Amino acid sequence: MTQSRESGNRLARTFPTARPAGCPFDPPAPFAEAREECPVTPLQYPDGHVGRLVTGLQSARAVLGDTRFSSLPAGKRSPVKVPGSELSTDALPAGMFVNMDPPDHTRYRRLLSKHFTIRRVRELRPRIQEMTDRLLDEMEGKGGPVDLVEAFAKPLPTLVTSELLGLPEEDRAQFGHHVDVLFSLSSSGEEMQQSMVLLGGMLHALIDAARKDPGQDILGRLTVETDLTDEELLGITIVLLIAGLETTTNMLALGTYALLRHPEQLAALRADWSLMDDAVEELLRYLSVVQIGPIRVAAEDFAFEGQSIRKGEVVTVSLPAANRDPSAFEDPDVFDIRRGTSRHLAFGSGPHQCMGHHLARLELSIGYESLLRRFPGLELAVPVDEVGTREMMVTYGVLGLPVRW
Amino acid sequence: MRIEIDKDVCCGAGTCVLVAPGVFDQDDEDGTVILLDATPGAEQREAVEEAAERCPTAVIRIV
Repeated sequence: MTQSRESGNRLARTFPTARPAGCPFDPPAPFAEAREECPVTPLQYPDGHVGRLVTGLQSARAVLGDTRFSSLPAGKRSPVKVPGSELSTDALPAGMFVNMDPPDHTRYRRLLSKHFTIRRVRELRPRIQEMTDRLLDEMEGKGGPVDLVEAFAKPLPTLVTSELLGLPEEDRAQFGHHVDVLFSLSSSGEEMQQSMVLLGGMLHALIDAARKDPGQDILGRLTVETDLTDEELLGITIVLLIAGLETTTNMLALGTYALLRHPEQLAALRADWSLMDDAVEELLRYLSVVQIGPIRVAAEDFAFEGQSIRKGEVVTVSLPAANRDPSAFEDPDVFDIRRGTSRHLAFGSGPHQCMGHHLARLELSIGYESLLRRFPGLELAVPVDEVGTREMMVTYGVLGLPVRW
Repeated sequence: MRIEIDKDVCCGAGTCVLVAPGVFDQDDEDGTVILLDATPGAEQREAVEEAAERCPTAVIRIV
């Protein structure tokens, strides 16, 4: 677990990943200890580099909103070794705007933002409801117990994203499979490499098809309305996949698990569905599934909140820690769907704040409500100690969630 | 209350539209903020303050 060592005269923690025993929804305990010392503390990275860890909400917001903390890949490193964290970033396609700073980042983001405005997202509601209902029909047809991750939490965001990108129905299963391999804990390096190549081929074919016969989907619109190159479109598509799939899947499954583990909260929600939007915000705050990063690199020497930041220092923000900051939330470790605040950082902050947050909120709200309404007797089909969690992954969640009804 | 916005740094997150829909809107072309009402009434103050606080790139200023 957490070791510490003297770095100069300061104590540098390593990044904790172990969740407290029996509390799968609580962040690793050392985050709270770090935050009590200071919202920004020294952090030791696996290669010995000593940078910073940010655990306070206001400091997290300040770091993420300050472009002196750069998003460029140079010098960036993960605070823990996780699948994919050692893949080289040298060969990233153009257009991966998550690894850019303004103004380059701004150019890409503005080309895409129009597809994720509140107005556009609200237009998607009937279609998302339809896809949700179809998945629930299939699940009900199969009968319990089923793994909610495979039957519902994974396919829903995959269907929504496929549709946004204009992926033909017949390719969706294969697409889902490759994405699965890339995000799975158990995939070998060889399997990941192979799926990356095959997925790249599918995406190239998709971009070709959009150029020849542009539809109303995002890729189709981008080929008509912008002068983005194929390589840029590929980068953008990859960003949309990475950002939109794993996060939503894990929120759907872990969120359902959290509700099942808090029966009094679930009962309150079932008694009053108008609490749904507040419940989504509280689940986003309480679960904060993006558990490693955002990560930034100081682009210059400067003073930040009274500390001297040196150029090249790697700064890791812990969103789960920030969202349990007692100076921002009363009784932060209590899960309360009536809390009624959306001032959390589950989607990050600053210019890189999740562009798809309106879409994510809509998918979650439709997903949870439709699932719970369809199965009034939804319950875990295994003892809680058999529900495994994703501790060594960028996105936290459950490995599987066997349920019956 | 008068509102000023710095559209140059807007990232089009649309949080302001969510929080104070009568005061802010989003441009259909690039998602950036449109200020519908630069001098909203006092009844909007709380919502506008929240929009300013939650704006990820600090676009909104109340003067």
